[in-house]
Amino acid sequence: MNSNDAKHIAQQAASHESAHAAISQAAQSAGRAARSSTPAHGEFLTFRLGEEEYGIDILKVQEIRSYEQPTRIANAPTFIKGVVNLRGVIVPIVDLRIKLNCTSVEYTDLTVVIVLNVKGRVVGTVVDSVSDVLQLSQDAIKPAPDLSSSVDSSFITGIGCVKSGAEQRMLILMDIEALMSSEEMGLINSI
Amino acid sequence: MSNMNTDNNTASAAAGIDLTQFYQVFFEEAAENLDSMEQQLLNIDITSASDEDLNSIFRCAHSVKGGAATFGFTDVAELTHQMETLLDKLRRRELQATVAMVDVLLQADDALRAQLARHQGAGGDPVDTTNLLASIRAMQGGGVAKVAVAATTVAPATVAVESRAPAELISDLGTSPNGDSKPAALRVLELRVGPLNDVKDADNLVDLFGEIVDLGSIEPLDAGQASDGIRRFKIVTTSCDSELMDLFTFHVAREQVKLLEMTAGFGFHDGAPGAPAPSEPEPTYGFFDDAPGAPGTAHAAAGKPAGSTHPADAATAATATTASNPTLSASAPASAEAKGAAPAAKAAAPIESATLRVSIEKVDQLIHLVGELVITQAMLAQNSQKLDPALYQQLAAGMADLERNTRDLQESVMSIRMIPMSMVFSRFPRMLRDLAAKLSKQVNFVTVGDATELDKGLVEKITDPLTHLVRNSCDHGIETPAERVAKGKSETGTLTLSASHQGGTIVIEVRDDGKGLSRDKLLSKARERGIDAPDSMSDTDVWSLIFAPGFSTADVVTDVSGRGVGMDVVKKNITALGGTVEIDSAEGYGMSVKVRLPLTLAIMDGMSVAVGDECYILPLASVVESFQVQPGLIKTVGGTGRVVEVRSEFMPVIDLEEVFHVPKSDTPPATRIMVVVEADGGQVALLVDELLGQQQVVVKNLEANYRRVPDVSGATIMGDGRVALILDVSSLVRHSRH
Repeated sequence: MNSNDAKHIAQQAASHESAHAAISQAAQSAGRAARSSTPAHGEFLTFRLGEEEYGIDILKVQEIRSYEQPTRIANAPTFIKGVVNLRGVIVPIVDLRIKLNCTSVEYTDLTVVIVLNVKGRVVGTVVDSVSDVLQLSQDAIKPAPDLSSSVDSSFITGIGCVKSGAEQRMLILMDIEALMSSEEMGLINSI
Repeated sequence: MSNMNTDNNTASAAAGIDLTQFYQVFFEEAAENLDSMEQQLLNIDITSASDEDLNSIFRCAHSVKGGAATFGFTDVAELTHQMETLLDKLRRRELQATVAMVDVLLQADDALRAQLARHQGAGGDPVDTTNLLASIRAMQGGGVAKVAVAATTVAPATVAVESRAPAELISDLGTSPNGDSKPAALRVLELRVGPLNDVKDADNLVDLFGEIVDLGSIEPLDAGQASDGIRRFKIVTTSCDSELMDLFTFHVAREQVKLLEMTAGFGFHDGAPGAPAPSEPEPTYGFFDDAPGAPGTAHAAAGKPAGSTHPADAATAATATTASNPTLSASAPASAEAKGAAPAAKAAAPIESATLRVSIEKVDQLIHLVGELVITQAMLAQNSQKLDPALYQQLAAGMADLERNTRDLQESVMSIRMIPMSMVFSRFPRMLRDLAAKLSKQVNFVTVGDATELDKGLVEKITDPLTHLVRNSCDHGIETPAERVAKGKSETGTLTLSASHQGGTIVIEVRDDGKGLSRDKLLSKARERGIDAPDSMSDTDVWSLIFAPGFSTADVVTDVSGRGVGMDVVKKNITALGGTVEIDSAEGYGMSVKVRLPLTLAIMDGMSVAVGDECYILPLASVVESFQVQPGLIKTVGGTGRVVEVRSEFMPVIDLEEVFHVPKSDTPPATRIMVVVEADGGQVALLVDELLGQQQVVVKNLEANYRRVPDVSGATIMGDGRVALILDVSSLVRHSRH
């Protein structure tokens, strides 16, 4: 993942009003990214699941694709939709909206799949829409409150606060790598 | 490693060029030479070795020596030089070959492997070859080497032991029970060492004694001090005086050592094979943990054949112990990973053949690209089907040619990765020879189907389980010659390893004509361990009990096997490869273990079927026939099981719609289709909606990014770009079995 990819992804983002703003912002943050190091603060790809906005480490994101009907795998949990062919590689598709018990789960033209590269595996996850790539500084990230939610709070690394225009956006920052490789996702063989 | 650096720095500095870039080639070639030499040594006919055989073995040693000297591996060069001198005399007929010589040369082979492994960075202690070198030099000097009679190949225990001159320190791996005339009575001796200038010198003796495994025990009778400079020790051993003297004179002068009888020895059975020494806990499955081929390895006096072992003998054995460990681990990867060298050439005995050394990554990349080509060709074929053949005649002809060429290309490329089973089998003659000798058994080793080919990736993984099965057969299956004769069998047991292709699988069988499994023993052992084992259990199920972890009915736990750690690991390993293990046994007659493995071809012929709106692929090799289901043809059994009658045979029915929970289609077909498939010797009839077609499919691994899915062996990409699941027929057949 380099700054070009970050720009590319931002350009791929669904046609949202902030898309144009996102592109320029990504360009700026890409420039900054080249100079800064990553850990807790860093660049986050933000996406929507229902009413909530989430942010994940941009370096884990391989690409963004539009949703296509995957091949169903029998006896898999409901949130695993199946597998798709990604340029010759078989990639499982997970619907995070189902996993996180979102109220409405629809597959529209705007539904996108974020293809992640975590722990050496390629996995795709269905989200409602992708927003932008944000550079969050350390003080913009607040520690995560201790909530019991459908996502085990150990996967939530913090809350990002971003002001865009008049709006105060609250981003739930997730450790997507840990979430995808966790046992409850059942994506990896447990030997 | 520092050893290597200093040596090589000198060599490189002298040469003025950086030699490290050539190391890899040297190591690979040396490994090949050592393999070749070992194989020839095992097969050599002592009484009538041909000039060509001897020359060939000489050349192997010579090549290794040359390379080693060039690269500054002085330890390797020195050992091979001594071997070469001995071999030279043999090929000039100045000396007569003996079994003892073959043994020493084989041990030297092991030591060389260990040395090379160290140079390659395997770590570990420097290989001590002093005793080995001494033995070889002694042999070069002629000594007394009576011609050994009889068997040459894999029955070392049948070779009569020649009497040895005291000066010869030869290790004899193959002493038969009626060999040495000395009974191995346990003796208690008093050892007096001195007068010594430094009484602590005697401690070296104690250390040395302790290093020689199975020599006995030594304990000081004094408290480490001695008034007259003489130390006294109590020794309990089965070795004779001369051997002990030889041992002690490594450290002190002969005049300073005196051995006296302490008490009358206790009578002990001759040889006592099968009398175990208390052994340390050690996992037996680790084939590389103990060292077959070293008589008197750390733990079992059990295997020690009658007749005492010379202390030097045991010393050499100790060397061989350390040597063999890295040896076998080094030789296993060395032989299995013969870097893509053409398999046929390696399988044949040492002939110069045209081979090419290719890295595995290149071959894998080639296979990957061919796979993509097949997918593209399939897509083109599918799209061009819609065209009017009359209008597009040339295109259709071109497509037909393309399909044929692609198929040929695919087959050629796949065969690059296939290597013959002889590669796997090649390690067993040596191992069995040493093992049989150690256990005082006579085993005839037969291989069938050496040329059967197997994917390289599988070869590496199948070797460990097979080794364990072979050792089990030799240790627990085949009885001692006395037992066999008492049962009216021939003295020599037979162990057969066979490999064959059956459908889309490879079947490897380990069969022995030993005593087989005892149903009663297994049942009682199972009950002891709290496993439910009713008398009504079928034989097959009883045999499967041995796969339970920790299960063993061995009366005697030897260092070879018997701890019950092995079979369950074997089964797990085979299952991980997608295979199955079957056991069959007849008590008193023998036992057979069959391992079935899928031939994991990346490209295979598949039959696509429709179930609901979904498409699934069946391996064409497993499909027997298909037919339309007439109403009333399917009968139920026991309420839930369904069977269908096929030519007056009843076959279980598996409805794929149910197994895969396929949502019902909007337009179900009027009549459904039954596809009969076969796997693992069983047949089932699969119920599908429609037969879609037949094409070559590229097998993609689901587990790369996902996990193992039951009943699914992989996935493929269809002509339209969508993913279709390939069904695992063996697992479906197993469904119906319980």
